[in-house]
Amino acid sequence: MDEDVLTTLKILIIGESGVGKSSLLLRFTDDTFDPELAATIGVDFKVKTISVDGNKAKLAIWDTAGQERFRTLTPSYYRGAQGVILVYDVTRRDTFVKLDNWLNELETYCTRNDIVKMLVGNKIDKENREVDRNEGLKFARKHSMLFIEASAKTCDGVQCAFEELVEKIIQTPGLWESENQNKGVRLSHREESHGGACGGYCSML
Amino acid sequence: MATPEGQGQEAGAYPEPAIEAQPHLPTGKELGEASRFAYTALCGMSLAWLFPDPEQSSFRTEFVESLVKWLELSETVLPSMVAFANGLGGEEEATFAEILLKDPVLKNDPMVIIQDLLAFSLRNGCYDARARVLVCHVTWLLKIPPEELENLEEMFLESLKERQEEESEAAETSRKKRENRKKWKRYLLIGLATVGGGTAIGLTGGLAAPFMAAGAAAIIGTTGAAALGSVAGIAVITSLFGAAGAGLTGYKMKKRVGAIEEFEFLPLTDGKQLHITIAITGWLCSGKYGMFTTPWATMARSSEQYCLAWESKYLMELGSALETLLNGLVNMMAQEALKYTILSGILTALTWPTSLLAVANVIDNPWGVCLRRSAEVGKHLAHVLLSRQQGRRPVTLIGFSLGARVIYFCLQEMAQEKDCQGIIEDVVLLGAPVEGEAKYWKPFTKVVSGKIINGYSRGDWLLSFVYRTSSVQLKVAGLQPVNLDDRRMVNMDLSSVVSVGSPFPGALEEEGKDCQMQTRACSFSHSNLPLLESGCFLVLSAEGDPQDTQTQREPSLPPRSLPCSGQGDK
Repeated sequence: MDEDVLTTLKILIIGESGVGKSSLLLRFTDDTFDPELAATIGVDFKVKTISVDGNKAKLAIWDTAGQERFRTLTPSYYRGAQGVILVYDVTRRDTFVKLDNWLNELETYCTRNDIVKMLVGNKIDKENREVDRNEGLKFARKHSMLFIEASAKTCDGVQCAFEELVEKIIQTPGLWESENQNKGVRLSHREESHGGACGGYCSML
Repeated sequence: MATPEGQGQEAGAYPEPAIEAQPHLPTGKELGEASRFAYTALCGMSLAWLFPDPEQSSFRTEFVESLVKWLELSETVLPSMVAFANGLGGEEEATFAEILLKDPVLKNDPMVIIQDLLAFSLRNGCYDARARVLVCHVTWLLKIPPEELENLEEMFLESLKERQEEESEAAETSRKKRENRKKWKRYLLIGLATVGGGTAIGLTGGLAAPFMAAGAAAIIGTTGAAALGSVAGIAVITSLFGAAGAGLTGYKMKKRVGAIEEFEFLPLTDGKQLHITIAITGWLCSGKYGMFTTPWATMARSSEQYCLAWESKYLMELGSALETLLNGLVNMMAQEALKYTILSGILTALTWPTSLLAVANVIDNPWGVCLRRSAEVGKHLAHVLLSRQQGRRPVTLIGFSLGARVIYFCLQEMAQEKDCQGIIEDVVLLGAPVEGEAKYWKPFTKVVSGKIINGYSRGDWLLSFVYRTSSVQLKVAGLQPVNLDDRRMVNMDLSSVVSVGSPFPGALEEEGKDCQMQTRACSFSHSNLPLLESGCFLVLSAEGDPQDTQTQREPSLPPRSLPCSGQGDK
């Protein structure tokens, strides 16, 4: 593994279908944009190393499928995530309204309560905005999330969203340090996860 | 390789068995996209857990990549699947398994997955031991009894055989009757319909390998990913069952190899199976146990089992030496002394009763000879297995005493070869007179895909005794656990099951001696892994007097500092 990488962080991207989760990721990792991007199947995975405040962090980003038919799969990705990016489409109010559901799901399946959450209002380049910036901000405050508005198409705020999230994670003590040492004890840990308990990811050391 | 259209053509050419009317069971790729994703993810994660070693990474990656293609999943899922297979997804197999169990298409019948995974694993005519371990693991995750997997494997084979029967009217009707009995067989036969008449291949006797090939092609046709009904395909599938259908029993030592005088495989069962077990006897003696096959009479690990006959002359010598030792030469005093020393746990090389040491020469020589020969035989076995005389199928090795030593050296030899992976499924070593230090066992993890089971008996005084001067090794695997930190390593304390030494008059009877050294009969009441895992591994210590065994079963034996050799004083 890269010597200078401080840590590997697991980041999850969730949100309704078609809000632009994959586009945000593609913009962030490959700096490209495809308006015709096909719907994600199951989950997509990308790795990117970024540098925040002189600390290099390797991001393992899991981009989940928003489509209903893959909804059953999503719970499997939450475990062990340190950061989550919750995306809605500013031109579709329904995607904003559904945020509550996503937060619920996060609450249910996420194994740690100090997970850093970032709310992203995507597609601000579009004209027909339905959700006001303040609304988003208010919602983010209420649920103690970071907030940013972005556009995967114009590149606005994308980099910033990931960087701020990582910065916050690194600033949160206990969120990522233990993760590094956990690798050696997988076996014992595993037993718990097989028991079907969802709270199995307690720290081992 | 995947030529789905080929399947279509052949189906048209050979539409006979009218199975279409019967309830149709889905194949893997007919599942919903989400389920296929979960299925692949489940395999990926399982692989990451089962084979985490870096040298296995290409196997893991290739496996999931092919599975994605097999299931006709979009290529966009590849990055995440490869990530899963490399352990990046965490350990969510259980979650994915539950998702699969809830799938409406599966209708609570997760066997569809196993069937599909099995067909996938066999697609290239090579049943990799790692693939079988994965199939077993997934079977377990989906809460399917292991016997069902065994049945399924047998049915795969059966359907292959049926393909060979001439399609006479009578055969046809009787076959159809049979089809109705088992829905799975029926499912497999759907595939048979897709094989063209052009693949009619005569029976070649023996294993009828080419025929198998045609049938296997049929199965693969079922899922439509590869039409192996071609001549080339047949050649590929032939490999699954050993070169030219001869297999292990056809194996003859071409020339005397090294110091080995005898090396032959004896069939223990009549059946055929997609995986085989080779049992290796540790020593022979007069009477019932004069045959290599006797100790394995009750073993049912696979319906295709072999027994390795090796160096009977020397094993017989060793056996009679043991017999002599136990029958007459060890006097009552020695027995009493042994009983005392074993129970109090102070048995060391220095505390051997002098009366026992006096007769040591009876046993030391044959023992030494057999130690050397077993190592040679082990190495030879390794090369037989590496050359795939058994076909491209997973092999399980089981042996006691010097037979376990054969396995030890077989694994050691294999570990040095490059293409040693994916051949051995499980190994079971009972009372092995070999080095028990974990570092010597480490390389075996590369060779063995499933479990490495070390059955030891702390109070096996005879093993401690005969091994006392053989080397300066301080740890003997047959006497204590091997502390290897790997999921494969399973140590089983058989102290309470194996009647140890039993130096009591009652146990010195004709039959009693058989259990002196180690286990005589190993009865796997069921032939499955989880059973082994859960410790239900049943070892019958022949006809040893149960009461005597009872008295020997003292838990007061020391945990670590066991008597094994060392400063042999004579």
